[in-house]
Amino acid sequence: MLQVRKNRLWKLFTILILSAGGISLILFSLNSKLDLFYTPSEMLEADIKPGYRIKLGGMVKTGSIKRDGTMINFLVTDFLNEVPVTFDGVPPDLFKENSGVVMLGYFLDGMFAAEEIFAKHDENYMPPELAIDEPKI
Amino acid sequence: MIGEISHFLSLSAVVLLSLVLIFNFFFFFSKAYPNQVTLSLRLFNQACWLVFISFGMYVYLAISDDFSIAYIASHSNSQLPVFYKITSIWSAHEGSMFLWILFLAVWSFLFINSLEKDHPLKKLTLMMLCSIILGFLLFLLLTSNPFERILPFGALEGADINPVLQDPALAIHPPMLYLGYVGFVIAFSFITAYLFNGNFELQWERDIKNWSFVAWIFLTIGITLGSWWAYYELGWGGYWFWDPVENVALMPWLAATAFMHSMFASSKSNVLKTWTMFLGILIFALSLFGAFIVRSGIIDSVHSFANDPERGLYLLSFSGLITLLAMGILAYRLPSLHSSKLVVTGSKESFISMNNILMITSIFSIFLGITYPLIIESITGEKVSIGPPYYNTIFSPLILIASIFIMISVDALWQRSMPLRILSIVTVLPTILSLFFVYIIWYTTNIFSILAYIGIFSGLIILFSYSLRTINNIFNKRFINKGSAIAHIGLGLLFFAVSMNSILSYEKNLNLAPGQSVTVNESVTEFFFKDIKVLKASNHDVISAEVFLLQDKKSLFLNPQKRKYATRGQITSESAIHASVLKDTYLTIGDQLENGSWTFSLKINYFIKWIWFSAALMVLGMLLTIFKKKMS
Repeated sequence: MLQVRKNRLWKLFTILILSAGGISLILFSLNSKLDLFYTPSEMLEADIKPGYRIKLGGMVKTGSIKRDGTMINFLVTDFLNEVPVTFDGVPPDLFKENSGVVMLGYFLDGMFAAEEIFAKHDENYMPPELAIDEPKI
Repeated sequence: MIGEISHFLSLSAVVLLSLVLIFNFFFFFSKAYPNQVTLSLRLFNQACWLVFISFGMYVYLAISDDFSIAYIASHSNSQLPVFYKITSIWSAHEGSMFLWILFLAVWSFLFINSLEKDHPLKKLTLMMLCSIILGFLLFLLLTSNPFERILPFGALEGADINPVLQDPALAIHPPMLYLGYVGFVIAFSFITAYLFNGNFELQWERDIKNWSFVAWIFLTIGITLGSWWAYYELGWGGYWFWDPVENVALMPWLAATAFMHSMFASSKSNVLKTWTMFLGILIFALSLFGAFIVRSGIIDSVHSFANDPERGLYLLSFSGLITLLAMGILAYRLPSLHSSKLVVTGSKESFISMNNILMITSIFSIFLGITYPLIIESITGEKVSIGPPYYNTIFSPLILIASIFIMISVDALWQRSMPLRILSIVTVLPTILSLFFVYIIWYTTNIFSILAYIGIFSGLIILFSYSLRTINNIFNKRFINKGSAIAHIGLGLLFFAVSMNSILSYEKNLNLAPGQSVTVNESVTEFFFKDIKVLKASNHDVISAEVFLLQDKKSLFLNPQKRKYATRGQITSESAIHASVLKDTYLTIGDQLENGSWTFSLKINYFIKWIWFSAALMVLGMLLTIFKKKMS
C-alpha cells in the first residue's frame, strides 16, 4: 500500500474511534440523565422504581392544597386519577389550585415527593397532554 | 389610519425587495445594465427605509394606545408608562418578529452601504440579504400579522403587558439578543456571496470582522441580561436553567466565539479558511434554528410562547432552505478551497483549531440535548426531558480540556511551534497554584463534588496563566494583547464563579409568624420577621414583609414583596436581595398559612455577582479588540 494511503487510513481510523467514543459517552450520559415525563394515570400504571427521578405533570386539584409549616401537600390530577404530592419549600407564584403544574421528583409508596415545582411564564399554561383531556366547562 | 399606512409600507417593502430579487435574477449573467448594482442598491435602500418608517409608525400606534390593533390591545394598556408601551411591542410573538425584521433591515442597510462602491461581492451579498429579509417579512405578514384590526369596534382598554415583563432589564433583553442573532446575517450573506462568486483570491475577513465582533457583543449582553433578569425577577434564585430557549441562544454564541477565534487564524496566516466559513454560516443557521424552536413551540419550555404549527412549518422550511443553500455551496466549493498550507503543531493556529473542535462538540451536545426528547417521543412515544445533570456531565470534561489548551496557548505564536521551555514555564506555575487553591477550597468547605472541582480548576488555570503572563509582560515592558487577556480572564472567572456557586450556595425554607424570630444557621444567626403590610399601588396590591437578618454579625434589612395585579390577576414575587462581594442574600416571601404565619425561602447565593461581572469582562475585552483594530 502506498504510504499516503496508509496515512489516510490511519487518520480515518482515529477519527472514527474518537467520534464513536465521544458519541457513546454523550449517549450514555443522555440515558442516565434524562427524566421521563408522566401524567398521574401513566405514572400509576408504570412500574417506577424508587429512587428513579421522573417528571410529573397535571392539574392541582381544587381544594386539595394543605400546608403545614413549609410543607405543602396537594393532589395532582389528570381528571382520571389523582396522586398525592408533598413538597417542602416555597412554590412558584403561578402555583395555584385548578391550574397546571409540572414537578420533578420521586414516586414512593403511592406518594410523589416533589423536589422542584416548575414556574411557567404563562399563567394559562397547561401540560400539553392535558389540554386534550380536560373536560370543557 | 396610521395602522393601515404602516401595514401598507411593510407590504410595499415586500414588493420592492421582490423586484430587486427578480431584476437581479434575470440579469444575473448579462452585462446589459451597467448600473444594475446601483439601481438594486437604491431599491434595496428604499425597502429598508419603508421597514424603518413602518416600525416607527407602529411604535407611535403603541404609544398612542391604538387598541383597535389586536396585537396592541392584547399586550399593552393605557396605564403603562410610555417606556413599557414601546417595549410591549416585543413582549409577544408578532411584535418580536417585527423587531427582528427591523434589525435585519438595519444591519443589512448599514453593511451594504459601507461596502466600497464597486466591491465584487456587493451584488451577491445584496441578493442574499434581500432574500432573507423578504423571507421574514412574508412570514410576518402571512402568519403573524401585527397590524390586524379588531373589527368593527376596537377594544376600549388594553389587556396589559405581563407584569414580570415590566422590567427595564427584560425590556432591553430582547432587542440586545436580536441585534446579536441578526447581526450574523452579515457574515452569513457575505461568506455565501464569496462562495458563489468563486474568486478565492479575494480577502473577505477584513470586511466582516468588526461587524461580527459587534454582533457578538450584543449577543453576549442579551444573554447576560436575560440571565440576570431571571435571577432577580422570577424568584427562582438561579441564573441558568439549561432550558431549550436558553440553549438555542447559547449555541450561536458558542459558534460565534469559535468563528471570531478562527477568523484571526484565517486572516493572519491563511489557514482554517474553510473552518471559518463553515462557522460563519453556522452562526446564523443556528440563530434561525433558534427562531424555529422558540416560535414554533415544538419544545415544551418555561418560555411558553405561542404554539402554532403553521409558523413552525414556515420557519423550518425557510431556515432549512437558506441553511442548505449556504452549506451546499460550501460543500460544492470545498475541493477548490483546499489549501496546501498546513497548521504547525504548537502554533497559535493549532490551538485555535482545537478550540474550534471543542466548540463544535459543545454545540453538538447542546443540539442533541434539545432534539433528543423529540426523537425519543417520535420513536417510542415516551415523553422525556433533559435537565442540568446532562449538560453538567457533558460540559465539565469539555471545559477542562478547553481550559488546558487556553492555558498552554497563552504564549503561543503565529505560524511557529512553541518551544518546550516556554511551554513548561507557562503551564507549571498556574497548574500548581490552581491545585493548591482547589485543595484549600476543599479543605475549608469540606464539600466534595468532582464536577465542581473540575470547573474550579479549569477556571483557575486560565485566570492564573493569563494574569501571570500579563504581570510578567508589564514588568518586562513587552506587548500585551489587552483585549484577549481581559476576555480570557473573564472566561476563567466565569468557570470559577459558576462552580463555586454550585457547591457553596444553599436554600432554607422557613415558616414564621409576624414578630417571631429564629436562628437559621451559624452564618445567619437571627431571622426576625418584624411585620407584614398590605399596600395599594396604582394597578396592583403589594404584600410587603419587613425582615431583619443578623448575618455574619451584621444586621441587614430585607423587604421581600408579593404583587397581585388587577388586570390579569397575576401574582409576582419581588425578591429582596442583599449583595456583598462574595454572596447574595436572596429572600422571597411565599404564602400565608391558615394560622396566620408566612413561608419564606432564604437563599444564599455565592459568587453570583461574579458571573455577570465575568460577562462584562468578556464584552470589555471584545471592545478593546475592536478599538485596537480601529487605531492601527
